[in-house]
Amino acid sequence: MSNRDYLGEFEHIILLALLRLQDRAYGVNVRQEIESCTHREVSVGAVYATLDRLEKKGYVKSWFGEPTPERGGRSKRFFTVTAKGMTAVNRTQHALQTMTEGLDFIRSSS
Amino acid sequence: MISDKDFGRPPFIATWLVSRFVTGKEAESLVGDLFEEFSSIASTSGIASAQRWYWRQAGKTVAHLAAGTLRSAPFFIAATVIGGLLLNRVVSGLPEPAIFAVLHRYRIFDRHFSAYVFLATDGIAIGHVVASMLVGCVVALAAKGKELVTTTTLSLVLCAMAGAVVFLSSEGQGLFLWMLPWYLADWVAIVVGGAFVHMCRSASRDSRFSRPV
Repeated sequence: MSNRDYLGEFEHIILLALLRLQDRAYGVNVRQEIESCTHREVSVGAVYATLDRLEKKGYVKSWFGEPTPERGGRSKRFFTVTAKGMTAVNRTQHALQTMTEGLDFIRSSS
Repeated sequence: MISDKDFGRPPFIATWLVSRFVTGKEAESLVGDLFEEFSSIASTSGIASAQRWYWRQAGKTVAHLAAGTLRSAPFFIAATVIGGLLLNRVVSGLPEPAIFAVLHRYRIFDRHFSAYVFLATDGIAIGHVVASMLVGCVVALAAKGKELVTTTTLSLVLCAMAGAVVFLSSEGQGLFLWMLPWYLADWVAIVVGGAFVHMCRSASRDSRFSRPV
């Protein structure tokens, strides 16, 4: 297994946001979901740059919706996690859990 | 139903800038996302607050997209920039002899002295700006899909090289400062050339998509 099979922190967060949002996962919702869950300011560009990278790796796939008036007649780009992406999330999640097992200070500081 | 007329339009320049760093449908969805949140913030916090948010997001978005493009194809961009430097080296030497050839051919010095002075000074500087824009266009044509990142990088490299030359040499700093506006115009012209090619490509792509089948 190479290190490329593991996700970066922001990639991991984005994939988790897509899983939480399911069929409502497009740029605005993904950005807002991350901001509300992590309390950190995220730019649309950061979200798109990471989603593009994940799509090139085959972890997510995207499709375009219909243009809507509240977006000035522009269409939404929806994202969903692929089976390969799910495997990567599980692997990273498992690695994190294994690494944090027995570290009591993490629980006490939260 | 919310439209752009209800809450005002987002800053045009910021939208234009973001659109130059992405292409086709991706640009549409990204700008659409920014527009949707802009309208939402404008309706709750007012147009001024929405515009501030928009500018901040646009700046961060451009930085992320540019960094992402640089990371995705560093060698290709480096090769294109080196090609651009060589081309710039060749092309930047052309306006001066070309203008003087025209001046001597039509004996401008004898007939229109003030025109001669203008062409021999500002005319050459304007020629350099036009040549820089052509360099930007050629580099952008080679860097398909990465026009703005490549031309901006080329511009910054030229800027850094000029700065290094001035810093290392004890003489010529006064001349450099005097010519600085023209140098800046050259560097901006390279990016403008890149933006022009990107706009032409986007327009051609859009017209292809919207053509009835």
